[in-house]
Amino acid sequence: MAVNRLNLTVDAKQIHGFLGPNGAGKTTTIKMLVGLLTPDSGSLKILGMDAAGDKPKIRQRIGYMPELPKFPKHLTGEELLDVYGRMYGMSKEERKQKAAELLKMVGLEGRGRDKIGKYSKGMQQRIGIAQALLSDPELVILDEPSIGLDPVGMVEVRDMVKGIVRGGQTVFFSSHLLTEVQQICDHVTIINNGLTLFTGTLEDIATVAMPSRRLVLEVQKGSDSILQALKALPFATVEAKDNVYTLHLSTKDDVRADISRAVSNAGGVILKMQEEGGGLEDAFMSLVGKEA
Amino acid sequence: MAKQRRTTWLTGFLAILYYEFLWNLRKKKIVGLFILVFAIVTLELALPPLLDYYNGVPLTPNSNVVFDFFNRLSGIFLFLIAVATTMNTISGEFETGSITPLLTKPVSKNTIFLGKTVASFLTLLGIYAFLTVYVTVGGILIEGSQNNLQLIPLGLVGLILATMVWGSLVILLGTLSKSSLVAALGSFGVWIGVTIAGGVLGSVFGQTTILFYAPGSGATGSTGGCGPGRLEAGGAFATGTDNLGYMLMQWALNGSTTLNFCGFRFRGGATETFLASSDTIANVALRDLGVTLAYLAVFLFLSWYAFRRAQIIESA
Repeated sequence: MAVNRLNLTVDAKQIHGFLGPNGAGKTTTIKMLVGLLTPDSGSLKILGMDAAGDKPKIRQRIGYMPELPKFPKHLTGEELLDVYGRMYGMSKEERKQKAAELLKMVGLEGRGRDKIGKYSKGMQQRIGIAQALLSDPELVILDEPSIGLDPVGMVEVRDMVKGIVRGGQTVFFSSHLLTEVQQICDHVTIINNGLTLFTGTLEDIATVAMPSRRLVLEVQKGSDSILQALKALPFATVEAKDNVYTLHLSTKDDVRADISRAVSNAGGVILKMQEEGGGLEDAFMSLVGKEA
Repeated sequence: MAKQRRTTWLTGFLAILYYEFLWNLRKKKIVGLFILVFAIVTLELALPPLLDYYNGVPLTPNSNVVFDFFNRLSGIFLFLIAVATTMNTISGEFETGSITPLLTKPVSKNTIFLGKTVASFLTLLGIYAFLTVYVTVGGILIEGSQNNLQLIPLGLVGLILATMVWGSLVILLGTLSKSSLVAALGSFGVWIGVTIAGGVLGSVFGQTTILFYAPGSGATGSTGGCGPGRLEAGGAFATGTDNLGYMLMQWALNGSTTLNFCGFRFRGGATETFLASSDTIANVALRDLGVTLAYLAVFLFLSWYAFRRAQIIESA
């Protein structure tokens, strides 16, 4: 069972990141949303409508880019957008104008008359994004849009995604790049083994990631009194190794001053104090690790 | 900002037709097929008079070249045209992965299937219309005025339906296997199996009833009789699904003429020919049409069902 009791709500006009380790069920979920797969049971609502099965009315309002998209190789980029535009019921004028606009937007200006078979992987990814935006959909679903792109292309894709939301559309995209999600998403959903582990804002995830928020403290000379002083702090559990103390924090507050005071009072001299964790990566690892 | 548009069934259907023509007509093999067909028909038209001329036989005009063309165009020729036209229709989309973006456009699977099937019919219409015009012009130029040209549209319809019997089998195997190679080889296996079985049945039992319902060349009927130990003279032609075009033309022309089907039996160590069954050309053609449509309906229904149920599981 790839997806089980997955509960996911994406608010309008936001960028919603969809995260999970390989095989978590991200692509399966997306394929069910766009009608490529039919769920065995349960309900699936998208844009307020029942989405299970073959639903052209829903697809009219959705733009979708599959992971590593493949298109008919003998078509040119312009022809591809034209023929897909016909499927959306766009007029000839509209198709022409939109194709030119999108090809420029995705960086394929001047390559629209080249056959897709001659496109590089990155260019195919770009034409994939262009066709997903062709009908000005209310919801844009992108499955791993950065795969196959060079670092410059990845930055451009991020900018494109931000641009889509500025235009009033909603973006739901899966990615394995946590930094990418962290940089552009308002909300994230993390799944594993087909189950939702977390869904909420990036700020909310700090709460979830709390167990892994830690502070590494290096003192000039470790001692038992320093260890006892740190252990006495109500918001931390402590691990000691020589002159390095790792404090696992159970608070979101900035407690560095309290720690500093406790060490000084115990006769210690702090050489280095560094907070680790609390980010998306830690939250992800914490959630996925816990679930596993 | 998102725009509200609505794809009607017709716009979706026409878009799929357009997509399919872009997909099909640029295939090198379709172009190759046109060239091959053109070459074969040219040879067929020009070779007999050339050979007659070479052998010193006086040229006699044949006013039935165009009419008989619909009788000659069958067998492997028809099958190859069917395979080349339809082997990529659905399986090609699965093989290349282009099915994924296609199925996420606002066109239903039913419309996609219908559009692709109709595009196959129209491609065949294009090929056969081209051939017919060529044969007609060539026939008139080489052999003089031609008879029964008004029946050509009927012949064309029959030829397209006959080809689509094999075409729909190719589509079915392609939809089930999602592989063009399996579709082509599988249907070739069926074609060769049916052809061999038909040949064996025909040799052992003569034009037995079962051949009326088999796809392909089917039973051979004759306007002549079936005398003991011999076949009497008369026009003989295949009455199977492959010859539907010719049968429909014969129906319009000689509907009330009786067609005899001769059987074989062994008596006293010798093969004896007897009249197994007979019917009017009208009835035989009607049955042929029914059998053709039945095969088409079954193969296309199964293909449609398989396509509707297809899940895009693998990463596209």
